[in-house]
Amino acid sequence: MGKKLIKLIGLGLILLLVQGISQVNAANITKVGLVTDVGKINDGTFNESAYKGMMRAVQEFGLKSAFIETRQPTDYEKNIEQLISEGYEMIITVGFLVGDATKKMAQKYPNVKFAIVDFAYDPPVPNILGLIFAEDQAGFLAGSLAGLMTKSKIVGAVLGMEIPPVVRFRKGYEAGVKYVCPDCKVLAVYIDSFTDPARGKSAALSQIDEGADVIFGGGGTTGSGAILGAAQAGVWVIGVDQDEYMTTFKKGEAPGAKKLLSSAMKRVDNAVYGAVKAAVDGSFKGGTALFNAGNDGIGLAPFHEAETAIPDTVKAKLKEIADGLKAGKIKTGV
Amino acid sequence: MTSSLRFSTLGTLKLPTQFTFLICGMISIILGILYVPLPFSFRLEKRLGKVFQLLPWRIAPPLIVFIVLIWAGAGRQIDVIGMLAQSLRLATPIGLGALAGILCERSGVINVAIEGMMLTAACTGFVAALYTQSIWLGLIIAVLSGGLTAALHAVLSIRFLVNQIISGMVLNILAIGITGFIRKAFIVDSPLPAPPVFPAWQIPVLSDLPLIGQVFFRNQPMEYALLILVPILHVLIFHTRWGLRTRAVGEHPQAADTLGVSVFKIRYINVIIAGLIAGLGGAWFSLETVGNFDDMMTEGKGFIALAAMIFGKWNPGGAFGGALLFGFADALQIKLQISGVQVPYQFLSMIPYLVTMIVLAGLIGRATPPAAEGVPFVKH
Repeated sequence: MGKKLIKLIGLGLILLLVQGISQVNAANITKVGLVTDVGKINDGTFNESAYKGMMRAVQEFGLKSAFIETRQPTDYEKNIEQLISEGYEMIITVGFLVGDATKKMAQKYPNVKFAIVDFAYDPPVPNILGLIFAEDQAGFLAGSLAGLMTKSKIVGAVLGMEIPPVVRFRKGYEAGVKYVCPDCKVLAVYIDSFTDPARGKSAALSQIDEGADVIFGGGGTTGSGAILGAAQAGVWVIGVDQDEYMTTFKKGEAPGAKKLLSSAMKRVDNAVYGAVKAAVDGSFKGGTALFNAGNDGIGLAPFHEAETAIPDTVKAKLKEIADGLKAGKIKTGV
Repeated sequence: MTSSLRFSTLGTLKLPTQFTFLICGMISIILGILYVPLPFSFRLEKRLGKVFQLLPWRIAPPLIVFIVLIWAGAGRQIDVIGMLAQSLRLATPIGLGALAGILCERSGVINVAIEGMMLTAACTGFVAALYTQSIWLGLIIAVLSGGLTAALHAVLSIRFLVNQIISGMVLNILAIGITGFIRKAFIVDSPLPAPPVFPAWQIPVLSDLPLIGQVFFRNQPMEYALLILVPILHVLIFHTRWGLRTRAVGEHPQAADTLGVSVFKIRYINVIIAGLIAGLGGAWFSLETVGNFDDMMTEGKGFIALAAMIFGKWNPGGAFGGALLFGFADALQIKLQISGVQVPYQFLSMIPYLVTMIVLAGLIGRATPPAAEGVPFVKH
């Protein structure tokens, strides 16, 4: 008798859950909110990119929107909960580090839709869409560019905290360098912060001391500080996430802008836009969405002022590699 | 295995790793034995006087640095001069912050707001430099805004007797908000080009000295400011009337007051000068290093400065040493990653804090703060 009862209750719960999920998927949203990782929506890297993507959808579909800029990692849950309490039906969280908080809140509020940048859940959570990027492919392209441009056969990378997306960037970068220049050396440094431009620069200068003549900066303002400092020291640099010519180098106004080769872009804006769009038209489903070279989720930014300094042979080779990644012929090995 | 230490253009020093370790170990053991308090009062240090007493403190730090370098360079090449120069560079904001802390706390006012003062200075200094297109005007504004923030701390904690730690923390939070607002309003969308950072100055003659010249005399202005301020503050605090009054006010304000020293005046002056120095530290971030202002770019250096201050037992020279230790650990951590040493970098970043805790626990001589620190003075 007891066992049967438990089974019945269990079945009832599962039914309720399924019912809940189908409700989540059916209801369209009118209010969407965004919670950043520690940082601001105008940080020039991924928080900003996510915010822009959300705002594009907001304007297109006439939604109501809000954002909260997180100041302390301990505030993630509080900030998400605050938006939910004000009736926001979809929450976008930005960054791997917000992963645990997002999951907890998604389980607490199963009727709210979530999209998170840079996190995949295994097993998937029914009301979270994880937006994952092939950072290794973006890094691979940056590495190829670095490997083709270096004269000293030593290239550097200054990265943020050692978390999976950053690790993928690094490994992809190393693989890309080796792909075009097997005897090149890659110097890479993790800095335990995404908001420390001074130490980023210091790491870049140390790499230049060791002979590096192309520096890749990957990790919030830490990486921006690294490429800003390295560009002013006169070596080639490569940005990350967004086209840093427009952000870090202020459309060419910042000193050193002519040394920026390109940026390894993650189209976070497109991914977030797509997630909101799906929630609006009712096709939102929990799970993971992968953005890679194949669906233009990653790629290199324009060369801007470095356009003339990059030989045509290099551009041709880069195109070949990009096509190879797209077609799946080139593997990054990550 | 051999360790190769490259001294930039001077050449490379190649040493057999294990043999060098052996020698260094023997030196340490000999030093240790000499200073063991022997039962039959045969303590050499007592017999040979003060110079000898201080000998281990003169030998041990360079010896430790040397051992670490040999270990890091085992089987590969390490560029020593570049790393030492980076150490000094990274030590600069910490050192300036620590000096600010010393000035404040020697007069009996706790200052945990160094972080906020530096952040404010970094922000306002950059805005000023951006709109006037003059980096030197930016520096002046940075220093003044550091002083202004400090004046607020002084008024709160001296005039209104607010708990000094709370006042400091409030200022830190205020600084995050204000600078975030200023950045959004005046920096992000400004069409003006950012002025280039301070150039490095080569001191004639001195900069050509081998090793020392490359580390100490080819730096940017804030590094020189630190190198000059350390001895100046030492003289001011320990060899002038003002320094004596400062220390008296910090140790026993009632006694100082009885003797006719104006406790309030001394404290106001000290806190505000501390703010000006913290302003220099702030300028290091935005005007000297990055050439931009980012939110929270001081990254807790103001708090590490407090650790350096405690490490140095509230003395300018000691605090400078502490700042160098933190800077060295950071530069070494970066260097080891570059040269591919398989040690978790978090472990190396941790070491300076462990050392500070050891100092705080009194193992390497007790660190005693000024007696009246944190106690508001009320005139009866």
